[in-house]
Amino acid sequence: MADLSINLAGIKSPNPFWLASAPPTNSGYQVQRAFEAGWGGAVWKTLGDPILNVSSRFAAINFNGQRVAGFNNIELITDRPLDVNLKEIYETKKRFPNHAIIASLMVEPKQEKWHEIVKRVEDVGVDGLELNFGCPHGMAERGMGSASGQVPSLVEKQTYWVKEAAKTPVIVKLTPNITDITVTAEAAVNGGADAISMINTINSLMGVDLDTWNTIPHVAGKGAHGGYCGPAVKPIALNMVAECARNPRISVPISGIGGISNWQDAVEFILMGAAGVQVCTAAMHHGFRIVEDMIEGLDHYLDSKNISAVSELIGKSVPRYSDWGNLDLHYNITAQINTDVCINCNKCHIACEDTSHQCIDMIKGDNGRSYLKVREEDCVGCNLCAIVCPVEGAITMVEQTSMQPMTWNERQAALNSSK
Amino acid sequence: MSEHEQYLAEKEKIDQLLSEGYNIYHAVENLDGAFVEFFHLKSGTKKTLHIRTANARKYFSSIFIQQKSS
Amino acid sequence: MVTIKTQRISITDLERNFEEADRGFTNQEALEESNRCLFCYDAPCIKACPTGIDIPSFIKKIASGNLLGSAKTIMSSNPVGASCARVCPTEELCEGSCVLNHSTSPIQIGKLQRYATDWAIKNEQTLFKAGTPNGKTAAVIGGGPAGLSAARELARFGFRVTIYEAAEKAGGLNTYGIVSFRLPQSISFWEVEQVQKLNVRILTNTMAGRDVSAEELLHSYDYIVLAAGMAHVPDLRIEGEELKGVYDAIEFVKATKSGKLSRDFAGKRVAVIGAGNTAIDGATCSVRLGAENVKILYRRSVEEMTAYDFEYEFAKQDGVEFRWLTAPKRIIGDAEGQVAGIECVQMALGDPGEDGRRSPAEVEGSEFTLPVDAVIKAIGQTRHLPLIEAFGLQHEYGVVTADKETFQTSNPKIFACGDILFGKGKGDAMVVTAAQQGKLAAYAIHKQAQTAGTAK
Repeated sequence: MADLSINLAGIKSPNPFWLASAPPTNSGYQVQRAFEAGWGGAVWKTLGDPILNVSSRFAAINFNGQRVAGFNNIELITDRPLDVNLKEIYETKKRFPNHAIIASLMVEPKQEKWHEIVKRVEDVGVDGLELNFGCPHGMAERGMGSASGQVPSLVEKQTYWVKEAAKTPVIVKLTPNITDITVTAEAAVNGGADAISMINTINSLMGVDLDTWNTIPHVAGKGAHGGYCGPAVKPIALNMVAECARNPRISVPISGIGGISNWQDAVEFILMGAAGVQVCTAAMHHGFRIVEDMIEGLDHYLDSKNISAVSELIGKSVPRYSDWGNLDLHYNITAQINTDVCINCNKCHIACEDTSHQCIDMIKGDNGRSYLKVREEDCVGCNLCAIVCPVEGAITMVEQTSMQPMTWNERQAALNSSK
Repeated sequence: MSEHEQYLAEKEKIDQLLSEGYNIYHAVENLDGAFVEFFHLKSGTKKTLHIRTANARKYFSSIFIQQKSS
Repeated sequence: MVTIKTQRISITDLERNFEEADRGFTNQEALEESNRCLFCYDAPCIKACPTGIDIPSFIKKIASGNLLGSAKTIMSSNPVGASCARVCPTEELCEGSCVLNHSTSPIQIGKLQRYATDWAIKNEQTLFKAGTPNGKTAAVIGGGPAGLSAARELARFGFRVTIYEAAEKAGGLNTYGIVSFRLPQSISFWEVEQVQKLNVRILTNTMAGRDVSAEELLHSYDYIVLAAGMAHVPDLRIEGEELKGVYDAIEFVKATKSGKLSRDFAGKRVAVIGAGNTAIDGATCSVRLGAENVKILYRRSVEEMTAYDFEYEFAKQDGVEFRWLTAPKRIIGDAEGQVAGIECVQMALGDPGEDGRRSPAEVEGSEFTLPVDAVIKAIGQTRHLPLIEAFGLQHEYGVVTADKETFQTSNPKIFACGDILFGKGKGDAMVVTAAQQGKLAAYAIHKQAQTAGTAK
């Protein structure tokens, strides 16, 4: 059994799987059930001045019959008074002293407001704080959440105020509703953040009902944008984590969030620089019990790779992530179709013929049997055929011999020097 | 002519000049592709090739980098 | 653990036994199955469908919620597509060719086709419109799958079409010949209605050659489509055939679709002669009418049986017994002239004959008697010879001679399609094949009418 424990900027937990600040962490009852199920930590549903919610709060996108490819919510932060939440945090921490409880916080961008809440929350014994600068709906209209998270100076200033009062580690949770997340990440670091977490949810409108023409979801016939999350956002989140991880000016640990549904997703985030991960949608879809496979799957993966601790995985893929200009222009792969495995659905042919480089031929053999063949010289190695192929192992992308590596940056430098 | 054949034709032209002793000394790239200028050191003659295909534009630049480093 | 299975056959509620056995897909099942379809390009299932339905398209339309479009895609290629969804041997056609046979399991195309057409039936959709009248007339002899198919396509081209149907209702085999628990009559009637909605006149209880003469038809119409199918089951030519309790399988099945089920078979012992799909129908209908024991007697072996595998399986599940290499010698009657038993003889198979099938021969001295109360004859069907000859058409033992592509007969204004063309080595006697031939005959007639029109 590998060591799955993590230490994220001083916050320790028995495994890297935390529940993100969201409906699953709304109460002591829920967080205790989660810890019983095996979750290593929980970021409590955001604390602040108790809000009012609307009815009809969630919606999901189904893709080709697959439910919850993406998920959205218009629920706000906690609607319960602070003292009620603090009492439950205290009780939960007492019952589960080795699990991490992080308090998510959101108040108006005023120094005294931040000082007050930090003090009251730390008094009940939380392991850390997470500043919610990311919620894109509702609270943003009141100048909080992503509204302040989109302004680097506000991120820096509020982080600074929190750090003035905080004794526990401070994580700044960033909004993806911004052009370049490294700018706000850097602002958080400059403000003294001990760690950053990302991503919060993405502005979204889930759909429009074709019969009523109402938005999905709607509240008495009216809708407002929500926050998008779930499996569909994973690639967006992973990129943002990776961009921060490879940025030398962002030197703090990262808590990865966004569409993580299983141990494999978690490993990807950790390889791309996350020191731990947070999960919400998958738990909302299936319940807390999913963590059992996450823990076991991660453990078996580490064993199979002869890695003794999950911490050794952190950031291992970061050096492989770079700018487009550093990619080798001569690297050459071409598709190869294994006709023994191919079932002749011809999807690769039509995808290539209509939308790529017209290099997969449908051929009738001498025996009358049809087969598909790649004209390798015309194949650009785009991967499309292998992507649309429904059969494992029918299409392989094979490396071809090529010239000495040459990146775009090297090429342009050489050409420009000749001017 | 397929794109690959166009590339081969352009590559052949480049290789021809190289075998004749020409070197690439300059290239201009614009909306129409690359205009690669060759120079023959002994005779002092210049020649320009209009290179259009992507693979040939990769090819000449690699040759150019090689020539510069040697 | 004890699991209580739903009783397959009820001995008290016979009507329930004749309700459609397969319940069809639920919305969720249809959605999941349709999403499983790969949407192949140049899909083999299209090529395997005798009517060439664009199967990936109709399945994609189910997945997208475009059920009207899905039903149109199916029915435009196959005017009896709702029936075919239930009766086609899909394992041998579309589903048999599905590429997923080579990776997971084939898409259940038949059930998806049924789902889409059921939607159209339930929502009372009219899928097609009659074409602009072209001033030409056509008579279609026989309102079965081939005739309906030809009539609908001709009506879409603008022909004024009249169907002459001998039975009380149109639909032919689909209405009367296929057992209700596989194909309810309502499905066939909907398909008939769809054709009628294109201003096609259907004259029922009107038999060509009896109620209207061949000359009159030839005189009154520009074109004739001969789609009269086949006739009754031939005689066994054995002693006792005239006894009470001897039935023609076609008539027997038809009676189960008349709206009132006979109680006469309850607790009885039935012998069915033959092992084609009609024999299976006769046997399973007997079981469902409450017969205590049903045996299929076949003079050859299981390998030569012409029934589809799924029909065979279905019959076995119904509890039908199969007696291979058993031929009837005579039917024994009691004092009242009622069937009391059947004398049979064991057969042995010889070398393969010209048709590749091994011919059976009696085993001397192997006679034995089975006590039975009813005998159902299902040894093929006879031809409509008088009708074919009334039209003066070339034929081979009652199988009309027609062009393979245009279906034109020896009389240029008469086209033939469906079972009237079916005979030894002349294609498959499938509903779907009949539908395709009807379509092709209509196309050929339309083409000819157009050429004739421009020549004027």
